[in-house]
Amino acid sequence: MSTELGTAPVPAEPPARRAPAGPTRPGQAGPAAYPRLPTSEPAGTDELAAYPRFADPEPAGVGDPAAVARASDRGARVAAVAIALAWHLAVGLPGVLTAWSALPAAPLVGGAWLLVAVTGGLAGYRLLRGTPLPATPLAGLLLAVDAAVFVAVGDRHLFTAANWVWSGLAWFLLLTVWGRPATRLLVLLAAHSGIALATLAGRGVTEPADLARFAMYVYGTSSLPVAVFVGSAAIAWLARDRARTAAAVGAVAAERAAAERAQQARQARLALVDAAAGTVLGDLAAGRADPGDPEVQRRCALAAARLRRLIAESDDVPDPLLHELRAAADLAERAGVAIDLVSVGVPPPLPVRLRRRLAEPLAAELAGARDWARLTVVAGPDEVTVGVVTPDRGGPAGTGPPVGTDDDGVEHAHERDGVIRWTQTRWRRA
Amino acid sequence: MDADAVAESVTGGPPVGVSIVDDHPVVVDGVRAWLATEPRLRVLATGDDPDEVLRAAPEVDVVLLDLRLHGRMVLDKLAELCAAGRRVVVYSEHTDPATMLAALDAGAVAFLAKHEGREHCVATVLAAASDRPYVPPALAGAMVGDPRPDRPALSDKEREALLLWFQSMSKASVARRMRISEHTVKQYVDRARIKYTRAGRPAKTKAALLARAIEDGLVRPEDIGIYRSHAAADRPTP
Repeated sequence: MSTELGTAPVPAEPPARRAPAGPTRPGQAGPAAYPRLPTSEPAGTDELAAYPRFADPEPAGVGDPAAVARASDRGARVAAVAIALAWHLAVGLPGVLTAWSALPAAPLVGGAWLLVAVTGGLAGYRLLRGTPLPATPLAGLLLAVDAAVFVAVGDRHLFTAANWVWSGLAWFLLLTVWGRPATRLLVLLAAHSGIALATLAGRGVTEPADLARFAMYVYGTSSLPVAVFVGSAAIAWLARDRARTAAAVGAVAAERAAAERAQQARQARLALVDAAAGTVLGDLAAGRADPGDPEVQRRCALAAARLRRLIAESDDVPDPLLHELRAAADLAERAGVAIDLVSVGVPPPLPVRLRRRLAEPLAAELAGARDWARLTVVAGPDEVTVGVVTPDRGGPAGTGPPVGTDDDGVEHAHERDGVIRWTQTRWRRA
Repeated sequence: MDADAVAESVTGGPPVGVSIVDDHPVVVDGVRAWLATEPRLRVLATGDDPDEVLRAAPEVDVVLLDLRLHGRMVLDKLAELCAAGRRVVVYSEHTDPATMLAALDAGAVAFLAKHEGREHCVATVLAAASDRPYVPPALAGAMVGDPRPDRPALSDKEREALLLWFQSMSKASVARRMRISEHTVKQYVDRARIKYTRAGRPAKTKAALLARAIEDGLVRPEDIGIYRSHAAADRPTP
C-alpha cells in the first residue's frame, strides 16, 4: 500500500493477507450503537488470584503433617541426647574416677568411657542434624564396649558406679535406634542385659541376692529409655494425626471457597453475556427484530464477537490479550474478512478489566469489517497499543464508542477518512 | 508514494543494477517480474549463491538477499557483504522483530517482509541504490517494539510515526493523525531508521547511509553520537 491512500480508492487487495477472502456476509455495515459492557464484576481468573486463600489454600506448616511430626520429634531428640550425655558425664565419669585405683584394668574402662563419649557425642549431633549414623555398626560398637567394660571392671565393681556401662549405655543404645521401631530398642536392651547376665554367670555371681540385684538393674536401666522412646513416638504420631486432620479441614474449606468463587465468576460472566447478546436475542425471540434487517444482522455480528471474546477471556493461555484478539479475528475471518494480524513484543500480564478495555472496541470494529482488516499489537512492559485498520464502509460518521482516556489509563481513538477506518486502543502504565 | 521522492535523484542516470539471491526459482521469477515494472531498475543476475551471483555481475548496485538459503539463516554472509560495501536489501518470510533488527545490525540497508508486496519492494530497492533509508511497515513495527536495552533512543514523534505507519501502512493517514505533512512523517520514520545505523557491527553500508542522511539534512552529525567519527572516516568520495 502506498501513501496515496488518502486520495486513492480502496485497494482491491490488502497488502498482506493471512488467508484468502471468502464470501462476504452481506449487511454488516451501518452505524453502531455501542453499549459498554459492565466491567466491575469479578470474572475470569485474575480476580481469583487476588484472594490469597484461593491461590494458596493452606498456610505453610499446617499443610504438611510430616513436618509437624518432625518439629514435635525434635524436642524429644534434644531431650534424649541431653540425658545420654549428661548421664555419661555426671554419673559415669565420677564412678570410674572414684574407683580408678581399685580397678583391675582401669585404662581399659577409662578408654572405653572416652570412646563412648566421642562416638555418643557424634551420634547425638548427627541425630539432631537429621542425619543419624548407621544404626547397626554403631550398636555393634556399643555392645562390644559393653562386653569389654563388664570384663574389665572385675567382680568387685560389677554392681557399682565404676561399671558405668550398665546404667549409662542404654541411653546411647536409645540414640542409635531413634525413630525406628521399638522392637529394635528392646532387642538392644535385651542384648545389653544378656551381656550382664553372661558376665555374672561366667564369674559365678549367681546367688539369689545377685540375681535379684540383676533384675533390679535391668528394670532400672531399661524402663526409662523405653518410656522416653515410646512416649516420644506417641507424641509425634499424635501431632502428625492432628496436622493431618487440620490439613483436611483446610482443604475442604479451600474447596468450598473455590466453588463459591467459581459460582460468582460464572454469574458475573452470565451477566456479561446477557449484556452482550441478551437484548438482540430477546428482540429476535419476541419477533420485535427482523432477521433480514441489516441493522439486526449487524447487532448479531457484534453480539457474536462479544460472546466469542468472553469465551476466549477465561481461557488459560500464556498470552491472553493476543488470544482474545485472535478469537475476534477468527470470527471476522469466518465472515469472509481477510485478516492480517501482526504482533510485536510481549504484553505484560494485564488484568481482565484492562484487556477488555483494550480488545472490546477492536472486536466490535472487526465484527463490522468488510473485505480486509489489519490488526496490529505493539507491546512493551509499560505500554500496549492495539490497532485495527479496515476499509471505510461508508455510513454516517460518529460511530463507535466514546473516544478518550478512561480511568484505567486506556486511551481509545477512532478515525475514518473515507478510505480507511482506524481504531486504536492504548494502555500506558500509570 | 515514497518512491517518488527517491526516484527524482535516480531519474536521468543509468538504471540501477539489481541482483536477486534466493533458493526458490519461483520467488526469483516473481521478484524479477515486480522489478521489471519499474524502468529505473534492471535485474543483472540471479541465483542461490551470493558469491556466484556477484561474480556474474560484480557491478550491481543493490543485492536483494533472501535471509534463508538452503535451510540456513545467512546473517554471517549478510554481514560479510555489507562489510564489503554491498548495498543489501534483505527480504524474508521470517518477520519476527529480532531477525529484522539483527539484519539491520549486520548492515542491511533495509528489511522487507516477503508479503509486503511490489510497491514496497521497488521503493526499497530504489532508496537503497541512493543510500537512502526506506522503512516498510513490518520493519517499523520491529523498531517501535524493540525491547533491547541498548536500542537507539527515539523521540516521541519518531516512535509515534513508526507506530502509526506500522498500524495503517498509509503515510497520508499517519500525517492526518499526527497533524503534520507526509514529508515530515517520512522524515520522522527515516530519522528513526538512521539512528539504527549505530547498532551492531560497523559496515561500509551503514556509513554510506549515514553520510547521505547528513547530506540530505535528515540528521546532524552530532545527533548520531559515537558514529560521527566513524562516518567521517568511512565516508565515500562523492
